[in-house]
Amino acid sequence: MKLINQFTIWYLGISIIVFLIGGILIFYKMESEIDFEQGQELERQLDRYARKMETLENPGSLQKDRLEITELPADQAMVRFHISDTLAWHEPLEQVERQVKAGKSYLVNGRHFYMSTYNIMIESDDITETVVQTMVAIFLMLLVFIVVTSRLVSKRILQPFHQSLDKIRTFNFKDNQPLVFESTRTEEFEKLHDFLNKMSVRLLSDYKIVKEFSENLSHEIQTPIAVASGKLELLLNSPIDKQQANWIGAAYRANEKMTKIVNSLATLAKLENQEFEGTQSINFSSLVTDCLHEYEELMGMKKITVHQRIKPSVKIDMHAHMAEMLVDNLLNNAIKHNTSPGQICLELNNKVLKISNKGARPTGNVTEYLKRFKKGNPSSESIGLGLSIIQQICRIHGYTLEYTFINEEHQITIQLQN
Amino acid sequence: MKILLIEDQLELSENITEFLSSVGVFCETCDNCFDAQDKILVNSYDSVVLDIMLPDGSGLNLIDLIKKNQANSNILIISAKNSLGDKIEGLELGADDYLTKPFHLAELHARLKALYRRNQLGGSDVLTFNEIQVNPENLQASINQTLLDLTKKEFDLLLFFMTNKDRVLGRQAIVQHLWGDYTDDLANFDFVYQHIKNLRKKICRAGARDYIETVYGIGYKFNTSAEK
Repeated sequence: MKLINQFTIWYLGISIIVFLIGGILIFYKMESEIDFEQGQELERQLDRYARKMETLENPGSLQKDRLEITELPADQAMVRFHISDTLAWHEPLEQVERQVKAGKSYLVNGRHFYMSTYNIMIESDDITETVVQTMVAIFLMLLVFIVVTSRLVSKRILQPFHQSLDKIRTFNFKDNQPLVFESTRTEEFEKLHDFLNKMSVRLLSDYKIVKEFSENLSHEIQTPIAVASGKLELLLNSPIDKQQANWIGAAYRANEKMTKIVNSLATLAKLENQEFEGTQSINFSSLVTDCLHEYEELMGMKKITVHQRIKPSVKIDMHAHMAEMLVDNLLNNAIKHNTSPGQICLELNNKVLKISNKGARPTGNVTEYLKRFKKGNPSSESIGLGLSIIQQICRIHGYTLEYTFINEEHQITIQLQN
Repeated sequence: MKILLIEDQLELSENITEFLSSVGVFCETCDNCFDAQDKILVNSYDSVVLDIMLPDGSGLNLIDLIKKNQANSNILIISAKNSLGDKIEGLELGADDYLTKPFHLAELHARLKALYRRNQLGGSDVLTFNEIQVNPENLQASINQTLLDLTKKEFDLLLFFMTNKDRVLGRQAIVQHLWGDYTDDLANFDFVYQHIKNLRKKICRAGARDYIETVYGIGYKFNTSAEK
């Protein structure tokens, strides 16, 4: 949900509560005000009648529909103006209505009269109706205003935010440029920008350290490995007994494995750092065919048959060496993890490269194999980086890679069009 | 065969010298560009094994000097930098071969021998041992003048053994020799086993002694003193 919508909903929610309370307050205030005014009006009426009575011969004859006049003994205490509610028959409406009744005693020409009159009360239903109508009208106006203006305003206020988002999206380690934002008037954004800027600087420096470390490692480790491997080779050719030969053999194999891991990690680091530059249009079909040809002998030995459906002259844009690595690793995998006798199905067209091979049922989820050093058979000689390299190459080129195990077949599908 | 080894890693240099002298290659060493220039100007070598990263500069700068002063010499670059750029540059400058560290000493030896045969001997060298004859030029091997029907890999393997007689060749060294650098993840030693099995079968069937023996857990060895 958009921030502005949340704000709007909250604001409107609060407005509803305020309008409710306000409405109730207005209702009571209006009611009491009306009662007060009505009372005063009635008093004025009574006063007018009293003045009129002074001019009349018989003051009692003024009595009419709503006016009651009673003569009280002259010595009785004067009744002060008072108001009371009463139920009375209302002619026009032809029903009993709540009425307001006002009474006061006057001295007219030395005689004491008590006069009272009543009038229909303004019904609280009417007041409620008025109040509710007004409130709803105001609320609707507010709603329209808020929805329209908030959208306009938010576009303006949030503009720097969207700009920042775009900047973050295009952030790239390769450019080695920390995030720098234009200054805004909003304090929160300033805080965010400051934080992001510091974070990006930190990220870049960390990244550089890691990158340098892996580069140095893969480079510096080569020489000691070479030394160790040379010494072992010399040892192997010196007079040794069988037990010693076993030990040396084990050390030798471990050393070889280390070499492979370092080499593969270095390759992965190079891919991740996007160090292979200079893509060119490559005849992928002939590359795949050549590669298949190179492995013919190996496949022959493992009694692996190849079913290929390679569409001629499929072109892709890729660094030549990367393309070679991709195909090589794919075939390598398909051969290595195949059964014997086994088969490989290879399909290539403009859209997709699909390679599948019979193989052992995976113990876990096959997508796990895409992770580094994850492999189906932990004891195998394979180091478990081949698929990572394949995946990294696909990622760089925006190809989607899918690895499934269906019908006892490992199948890797690479969508060549992104 | 006499070579100059320019390598600043003393231990590595010792390994190479030790191995090469044990197979009858005379080895002179130096560990920087400056000394190397002296030696190149004064002596003559069949091959120069050159490390790229030296304390006083890049080994690539020496290639020109070697080409000028050692008309007959081969240049083999050894580098820890597994970079395609360096490899291409080195070969373009006139190096004959390129080997990435870490490498197997047997592989280095095989490469040096191959270069030596190709350049110094015009490829006409035929390796002979007892009843086995191997001709790298036309890729033919024969036992007692009977031609062996070998595949390319089997031939390479036999040549590798013949160059490194009486040396234990690790399976990984053989894998690297036969399939090169890029397939180094293809660690399936079954393939090596299969190739060796076929090669032995063919050699024995042609009436030769079974020179190739298994060194358990490590690899194989061409045993010159194999009994009949």
